[in-house]
Amino acid sequence: MDAQTFSLTRRFDAAPALVWRVWTEPDLVGRWYGPGLETEVHRLDPEVGGLWLHEMKMGPQSMYQRMEYVEVDPPKRLVMLMSTTDADWNVIANPMMPDWPRVLLTTVTFEADGDGTLMTLEWVPHEASEAEEAAFAAAVAQMGQGWGKGFDIIAEIVAELSAPS
Amino acid sequence: MEPSGYSQGLDAVFAALADPTRRAILARLTKGEATVGELAEPFEMSQPAVSKHLKVLERAGLIAREARAQTRPARLEAARLQEAVAWLEGFRDHWGARLDRMDRLLQNLKQEDT
Repeated sequence: MDAQTFSLTRRFDAAPALVWRVWTEPDLVGRWYGPGLETEVHRLDPEVGGLWLHEMKMGPQSMYQRMEYVEVDPPKRLVMLMSTTDADWNVIANPMMPDWPRVLLTTVTFEADGDGTLMTLEWVPHEASEAEEAAFAAAVAQMGQGWGKGFDIIAEIVAELSAPS
Repeated sequence: MEPSGYSQGLDAVFAALADPTRRAILARLTKGEATVGELAEPFEMSQPAVSKHLKVLERAGLIAREARAQTRPARLEAARLQEAVAWLEGFRDHWGARLDRMDRLLQNLKQEDT
């Protein structure tokens, strides 16, 4: 099965060097990466083999993410292996979706665009089982630009279910 | 995103939705319940083939089979589909909100520099 990728592109009104900084400086990362509430960056070493250990606090519970840097090419490209972990930074299944890929290869690129930066984020399952690939592919087809081709029918079904009967 | 608000196995829902025939079966079931025979007809599919699809949908919690009749009609479990949609929209909005925060931080940093 061809690996599915999920990607997002967005333009920011800032130079690549500045966008690079908000991704790679510990005191800056915590200000946007979390869910908007308390986050703690336990570690962030943006070098090949280095780790970014990120805790997102949601009341009494926390979600932990571990990123391992595979490529670090300032200010153009970051490649990381991204996983959900337990409190000791051991990789675990995503609590909400057991077959969600345990490890996603995440590529972030920063391209100068006039005075700004075109940033692309891309995720692809890494060394994933067939079940993980299938779960990711099916979800991906429905994310991104909204409902993908062939999945419009889901939007129709949902609309029909939401309509007053 | 509160983990307790989402049941396990949403990935089974997405895997079930990955097949176009199963999506079409769900669309048909929005109009009301149907038997295996009624579902097979428009697809020109054999009943065993349809039954296989129904098993996948049932395991994912997207349909329920009525035990009352010999034909065991299938009916759509709307809540389950809506749960999956909510998760997807949550994931998409999650990144949308995150990148909005990143954007605001970048603008603040630029102002600090001038």
